[in-house]
Amino acid sequence: MKLQELTEKPDLFTGGHRACAGCGFPILIRLVMSVVDTPVVVGAATGCLSVTTALYPYSSWRVPFIHNAFENAAATISGVEAAYCTFKRRGRLNTEIRFIAFGGDGGTYDIGLQSLSGTMERGHRILYICYDNGAYANTGIQRSSATPRGANTTTTPVGKKSYGKIRPRKNLTYIMADHGIPYVAQAAISHWRDLMTKTKKALETEGPSFINVMAPCRLSWGNNPQETVDLVEEAVNSCCWPLFEVENGKWRLNFKPKTKTPYHHWLRRQTRFRHLFHPTENEELIQDLQAEVDRNWEELLSRCQ
Amino acid sequence: MEKIMMKGNEALAEGAIRAGCRFFAGYPITPQNEVPEYMSRRMPEVDGVFLQAESEVSAINMVYGAGGAGCRAMTSSSSPGISLKQEGISYIACAQVPCVIVNVARGGPGLGGLTSSQADYFQATKGGGHGDYRLIVFSPGTVQEMVDLIGLAFDKADEYRNPAMILSDAIMGQMMEPVVLPEMRDLQQINKPWATTGMKNRGQNLINSLGLLPEDLVRINQELQEKYKRIEANEVRYAVEDVDDADLVLVAYGTSSRIARSAMGLARKEGKKVGLLRPITLWPFPKQPLADLAAAGKRFLVVEMSVGQMVEDVILAVNDRSKVDFFGVPNGAVPTVRQVYNRIMEIL
Repeated sequence: MKLQELTEKPDLFTGGHRACAGCGFPILIRLVMSVVDTPVVVGAATGCLSVTTALYPYSSWRVPFIHNAFENAAATISGVEAAYCTFKRRGRLNTEIRFIAFGGDGGTYDIGLQSLSGTMERGHRILYICYDNGAYANTGIQRSSATPRGANTTTTPVGKKSYGKIRPRKNLTYIMADHGIPYVAQAAISHWRDLMTKTKKALETEGPSFINVMAPCRLSWGNNPQETVDLVEEAVNSCCWPLFEVENGKWRLNFKPKTKTPYHHWLRRQTRFRHLFHPTENEELIQDLQAEVDRNWEELLSRCQ
Repeated sequence: MEKIMMKGNEALAEGAIRAGCRFFAGYPITPQNEVPEYMSRRMPEVDGVFLQAESEVSAINMVYGAGGAGCRAMTSSSSPGISLKQEGISYIACAQVPCVIVNVARGGPGLGGLTSSQADYFQATKGGGHGDYRLIVFSPGTVQEMVDLIGLAFDKADEYRNPAMILSDAIMGQMMEPVVLPEMRDLQQINKPWATTGMKNRGQNLINSLGLLPEDLVRINQELQEKYKRIEANEVRYAVEDVDDADLVLVAYGTSSRIARSAMGLARKEGKKVGLLRPITLWPFPKQPLADLAAAGKRFLVVEMSVGQMVEDVILAVNDRSKVDFFGVPNGAVPTVRQVYNRIMEIL
């Protein structure tokens, strides 16, 4: 895809929404929507996305948009898709329509996992995209099962006896791959071409597809708004957020950094990890976190051989 | 006694800890987030447990488990989250496990909004989930009452082996007022001989919410209904202000009772004889005091932040002995003192 072509495409997701400056998910959505070249229905879980882009009568969406509760974006879009299939079978519709659902990590990794799993197992032809910012950002930055270990959140507060979240993050992309659906991928807003290629593949897949995308919440990560994309790139380079895809069971690594940057470089740039470095550096823990990243990376490499 | 300024949600959380709560399971939802956030900091200090669940459904069932094991356990949420908890609450009510559920209510139905609401009255007082059951429902009217009533809720939940609910709302949870906190409760004084703590040298304890044989289910329900009768006979709580000489008695709870009280003040200045009855327990409902006031010839104006829920219970209690009027606002709006005052002046 050429950059030139992109600029000529109509914006299906427009500006003027109420997301924070430097928020990750609007970047992600613009990239995803610019790939869509058929009529599309978008579903969304409750979260920052729904409350900043679709407060009726205001909307950033130039496509049909359906919003439901926190835990059932996947169920809702699977209902829409099933109705579409019925209409098509009966000859009441003959247009090709695609279905995309968006959910944050709280609504996808946690409360929405059951509904997502059911949707994937039933085989609906939908694309589910998780915008993973590693916290319940909309309700005031509580921990989620996507929050990285060591992060300070309002429900894993740092103190004399706690270094923040003590549990490692759940690997949702692997869980989705284990559903045996035709297309699963992990992407990042910093690698826009990779994300768009994956979106295109997913939309062309005859069956369910899932893409997990790192898209920061700068309020919970504590970075300057202009650093959002750069910070994601650093995560990819540190290999804590690898870019890969699983196509019909075949694992493929999409990006291997020339030099793997130390994980603490990424941690240092975010206030949610400040306590790991100030007033004194928690060397032992930082080494442990690095070892975790290394272990996961090696494990992924072995899957992608 | 030292007075300190506290936010309603945080005062409630501290009140729970001082009442001996050592298990909290929660999940994020606005406008109750201060409760789990406070608990995540505070519980480790008192050797208690804070758990953030992956959904409201899990949180209430964690409370079922902890309550059954004999711990003073609670969960909090806001309206849509309380809806998700209903299956668990019904099981807990049937199994007679004491616990406290806090609803910092917001506007509905559906995802609704974040503004204050009293539209969860039916859900709180008529059972909420499936089956014939009741919660003991307390309605705080001040931040101080958030502290006092959560302590009482834990005591009454234990006394009757019944889940209790604090029906608060967004305004009550978010506002700050001075409070006096009670002393820490001595945990040794909290005895739960029925709890499933391992048999050791006693007989078997059983916690169960299943009655597949018809006669078993009948027995379970009869036992519950007898308990509810005892609660109705002994636990009605309410407050009255200026009702003796009143021609018109306002009936309101929680946030709307504060608005009603201000409107009453304005009307009194105009020489109108207006009083206030404020239910503190919404279930059991203060039927008798209302019936007595009706028999004494008073009229009623029910003020709610809903399109009319508690008013049905007032009408039942008054039972045609007097006239009952209603002033309510649809969810999203909070009534102003002037609106309530104007309604009073229309009636009198």
